[in-house]
Amino acid sequence: MAARGRSRRTLSFSVDSVGINRGESLPPTLQQPTPVFPVMEQKPLPLTGGEEAEYLLALKQDFRGAMRSLPCFIQPAAALRDVERYSDKYHSSEHTDGLMDWTPDWQRFPRELRIHARKPARDGVSVARSDAQSAQKKKKKKVREKEEVLIKLETLQKKEEQQSEEDDDDDNTEQKKKQEDDDADGDEEYDEEEFEEETDYIMSYFDNGEDFGGDSDDNMDEAIY
Amino acid sequence: MTAQEVRLCGLLLHEHFGEVVEKVGTHLLRSGAQNLRTIIHETGLSVDLVKKSLMVLVQHGACLFSSGRKGPGSPTEYRSGCDRILRILRYPRYIYTAKTLYGDTGELVVEELLQRGHMTMSGTVKTVADRLTQNMEEGRSMDYSEVSSAFSKLVETHFLQRCPNPAAGATPAAPGTPAAPASAIPPTPESFPDCYKVPHMTLVGRGKRQLAAEDGEDQRNAKRQKMDSEAHGDEGIYWQVNFERFHLHFRDQAIISAVANKLDQTSSEIVRTMLRMSEVTTSPAATCTKPLSANEIFRSLPASYNIPRPILDQYLTLLVDDPMEFVGKAGESGGGMYVVNLHRALANLARATLESVVQERFGSRSARIFRLLLRKRHLEQKQVEDFAMIPAKEAKDMLYTLLSQNLVQLQEIPKTPDYAPSRTFYLYTVNQLPTARMLLQNCYKTVANLIERRLFESKESKRLLEKSQRIEAILASLQASGAEPEQLTEVEEMITAPEKQQLDALKLHINKLDSAENQVDETIFLLESYVNSTATSTG
Repeated sequence: MAARGRSRRTLSFSVDSVGINRGESLPPTLQQPTPVFPVMEQKPLPLTGGEEAEYLLALKQDFRGAMRSLPCFIQPAAALRDVERYSDKYHSSEHTDGLMDWTPDWQRFPRELRIHARKPARDGVSVARSDAQSAQKKKKKKVREKEEVLIKLETLQKKEEQQSEEDDDDDNTEQKKKQEDDDADGDEEYDEEEFEEETDYIMSYFDNGEDFGGDSDDNMDEAIY
Repeated sequence: MTAQEVRLCGLLLHEHFGEVVEKVGTHLLRSGAQNLRTIIHETGLSVDLVKKSLMVLVQHGACLFSSGRKGPGSPTEYRSGCDRILRILRYPRYIYTAKTLYGDTGELVVEELLQRGHMTMSGTVKTVADRLTQNMEEGRSMDYSEVSSAFSKLVETHFLQRCPNPAAGATPAAPGTPAAPASAIPPTPESFPDCYKVPHMTLVGRGKRQLAAEDGEDQRNAKRQKMDSEAHGDEGIYWQVNFERFHLHFRDQAIISAVANKLDQTSSEIVRTMLRMSEVTTSPAATCTKPLSANEIFRSLPASYNIPRPILDQYLTLLVDDPMEFVGKAGESGGGMYVVNLHRALANLARATLESVVQERFGSRSARIFRLLLRKRHLEQKQVEDFAMIPAKEAKDMLYTLLSQNLVQLQEIPKTPDYAPSRTFYLYTVNQLPTARMLLQNCYKTVANLIERRLFESKESKRLLEKSQRIEAILASLQASGAEPEQLTEVEEMITAPEKQQLDALKLHINKLDSAENQVDETIFLLESYVNSTATSTG
């Protein structure tokens, strides 16, 4: 409203044409969004039943069910569960069978959509010849690489063995003895510590201060902290 | 591509093709034409899955590919449209129509083609024969020739058509392709001269029954490999369902049933005869059929209707005078030339739909105001109250409710250039076409909501549904292996009585929701036909 109209009770539109009479109050202002499910004043009509409607319904549900079993129903690999389970290894091969059932006519699709099947276990259901050859080549390459790695490892191992034979003949015996001693000491210490006074605490952990004062008898010059 | 349409398409793709195809499909719908790399990058799926989904979409005609915009060297672009995916709602109706026209064989042929998208004739015939043999008694099987004849009949009446060959975009490097890359519009199936020609096919045999025995399976595998290597003379020729032809059929049926409801059975028979005679001569986008003389109509009436000639003339005059304007008179030669006004009939049917929507939502008095505004175009508030004979206060209320729902619009006519409210006329008006479009979008939203509610209900009772499925499987295997009745009853009792009640209630709800989807689709068809008919006549 303009400032001039502050004292006068005029509205910006003519009252008659819109149809508000004197004394009638305007409807209350809305102060929140309209409800999500407003109340319906009229009840809706019931659905038309009849044979045709039922047959159409049956057709629809059958169609939906049939589509789920066709190869064009693509399901991604099942999501990983929270914990790896032993049976995952055996379940993963179940779902992927449907994908290869359908052999499309590749001339009707752009070349970039061709998927090369890389399953050496399958006997070439829908793998083109060139694809099989490239798969074989890749397998050969991998095998060759593996062989090379194995050969390298063998040579390294032989070298190590030769070195160790020359140098460590003596060391080996010494080491063996040391190990035995250590083991024995360990056992003794173990027994000593654990069972000396039948406590739960390992004795070496507790320092009872006997060594403290004895060491400093030689040098009186140094301060004792 | 409105938001409601995209949402509905997403739900339909999810139900019929899985969530991977749904993701790719909705992405294509939202973003327009894109090439493969962009799709992979933006959807975040693996390369293999995206490729497979695109193949599924192309196979079912939901996605078209063409060479890129920048010339023959750029990567192929894929684009998708809402229309084709929304047809999935109407599949049951197509199958049912094929059944009424061509029997069970026709029904199965159309169903197979709808499930697979594109198929060769030989493949379809074999699959359908096998399915029919499955349902027949022991020892009988379906001959391929019967199925082939049903297929040919469907092709002759244009219900099935050949798929167009992929455009030059499929092999951009191939030399000798025609100058198709220049045109951005993919060729329609109708542009090929052989569109409706049945290929010469050598296919002799009978349907095969699926045997349960093990050695039967080995034999079947051996036979399957042998058959796959046979050529039947129709390689590379793929068939698809011609949706436009089915739509014309539905439109004719709607007009005939409207005439039957408004007038009587005989008039509807006359209109049916007229439409049947002009099936081949009328183009799909025609405003009205070719003029038919009364003599021709008289001769073509079915033999069971023995109407004498003067009575037929009276019926035709009645049809012409009817305010619904289904039939019009186009001349006097040959005893009177009559046409069926197709576009006007569709407009009237759409108008009747709008009126009934207002009536069911707001009451009969609001419907009276709505009809009044449709007929009188522009009316002031006072005039509305007078013509509708409704007290002022209530009329004002109803008008404002309709206005807030956007079914009625306000037109301002100023007396002065400054549009001062006290010196402006405010007229109420109804525009049929925008209102029809708005209701069409509401219908899409309704179907999407129905589907979501159905999915929600099944998810709520998923545990119960799985349990009942397992028990059914156990029962079936027990019965097959021949168990005693006590064992069967024991297994049946594993489902308790309240659970059974819950399952029955769930089944009832799901059936209701599915049936409601089918019925909303009928309204969608009417409104879509009306909107499309106005588009072709003005544009």
